[in-house]
Amino acid sequence: MATLTDSSPRFVVDALRGERQTRPPVDTTSAPGLRSVLEDGIFEVLGAEKPDSPLVIRSSSLRQLAQSTDISLSPHGRVRGILVNQVLRLLSVGTSVNSPFDDALQAWRLESGAGELLGYVDQLGSDERARLETDVTAHSITLIRSLGPVPSRWLPRSAVRATQQLCAGAVLLRDVIDLMVGTTANDVASVALFDVTTSPLGEGNERTMRYHALVETLRTSIVPLRTSTFSTATGEMWSLDVDTELLMRSAEEVLAAIANQWRKP
Amino acid sequence: MSTLIHRRLTRNELNALIDSAPTTPVSLSDDHRRSLSARFRAVPGTDHRRLDAWTVEQAGRAQRGFRWSPTTARRVLGSGALRRIASAPALSIGEAVSDEITDQLLRAASGYARGGSLGYWLANASVPELGLITAEALNWATQVTEIAEGLENDWRIAPSDAFYDVATARTTLRGRRDLVVASDEHRVIIRVRAGTPGKSAGPGLRSDLTIETLAHPGGLAPARFIGVWPEAGVVLSVDATMADLRRGARDLVRTAVAQQRIRALIAA
Repeated sequence: MATLTDSSPRFVVDALRGERQTRPPVDTTSAPGLRSVLEDGIFEVLGAEKPDSPLVIRSSSLRQLAQSTDISLSPHGRVRGILVNQVLRLLSVGTSVNSPFDDALQAWRLESGAGELLGYVDQLGSDERARLETDVTAHSITLIRSLGPVPSRWLPRSAVRATQQLCAGAVLLRDVIDLMVGTTANDVASVALFDVTTSPLGEGNERTMRYHALVETLRTSIVPLRTSTFSTATGEMWSLDVDTELLMRSAEEVLAAIANQWRKP
Repeated sequence: MSTLIHRRLTRNELNALIDSAPTTPVSLSDDHRRSLSARFRAVPGTDHRRLDAWTVEQAGRAQRGFRWSPTTARRVLGSGALRRIASAPALSIGEAVSDEITDQLLRAASGYARGGSLGYWLANASVPELGLITAEALNWATQVTEIAEGLENDWRIAPSDAFYDVATARTTLRGRRDLVVASDEHRVIIRVRAGTPGKSAGPGLRSDLTIETLAHPGGLAPARFIGVWPEAGVVLSVDATMADLRRGARDLVRTAVAQQRIRALIAA
């Protein structure tokens, strides 16, 4: 179910969890069923064969089921995405971000040490670097203005990783949730998943939102309350309440991605 | 036969693992300690040896030199924050993490932090870097809290890791532990781990169990040692049977031997 609020909330954070009174009881029974659906579906795709190395599914595997070019996957787009995510991590713990590009770059360097994409940033010419800096700053300002303060009692955690093995390791579902708030140790559903993208929102982002909810359900055996995504390109936010229908749809999308990957030579 | 159990991480499964832990007490005597010491002494080596579950899981392979990073600092800071909350329950996790970092910075500013220590490293970090370190510590503390809040038995944050110096063998064993679930009947130790459990997770868990037992003043083993991998949503546990304790000790000695062989190869 998509949430349509009467009035536009001032901050993204205000829309994340909604009112406590309207939250459904925590669903702890759907996860085993979903796992069975996935494992049965994978068996139908793979049969008795087992891949030499696990088939790895990520949210990016679902974003582009059809063959097309996505400029967010260019090095510039990826670096911009990583840096805006670093800004989100800093904001989630109340760190003031004065110079988004430099602050995010420092945090990223500390986190990853060295890597191909950091090398890409280091070898940029002054014009290209200035372009990247302007781009990251523009996206970060949209995020800073829209996000709002994240209360620490909501237990915010950022860049939360999840890995789920299916069919004895034949398939691996990997995911990173940009920001998660709420707790699983509650009688009502309270976990909200939040994803930030630097691209305009599209069908692929909807699939990503559902995928986050699916993997989180499999990981914790508890269905989250809501899954949301925010575009720093448009300032738009989409939010979906998580229910069985949404999770089943995501399971079908995952199975389609597995079939797609398995067919590739 | 190994008592290794594999379960999905759910509140019910974790509580069931704690409730079904064996109640027969198992302990290691002074003879066991002397025997272990003799075995470690038999492994040649000039340097002081430090072993833990990770070195066992890596079969003694040489590791890159330790350096502080948000990932290596998160457990120290996160666990410190949780111990703070235990003594001051009004603190939120975010406040406790922030206090913990401030304490480390104060230690560095007052000259109590030596080079290479966590405080020293934090003191040289920029504001955004401190923000990222805080975020990682907060992630750690929150996931441990979520696990603890689902427990039906009384629990406490482990006051520290378990350390055991093997007498006259220049060897220190370190067992990591995060939560202690103690009842009148038994105590169960929970260790929270990052990533996904590999094939060597069982031997790692058994080493932690053995070190925990050796570090106990009376040599009393915990009834069960549980490893929780929240990222993978998986729980593994091992019981304190004499067979498992022996295998844990054997794995530690084998790791010391493997380490020594690797060092000898590098030296050659």
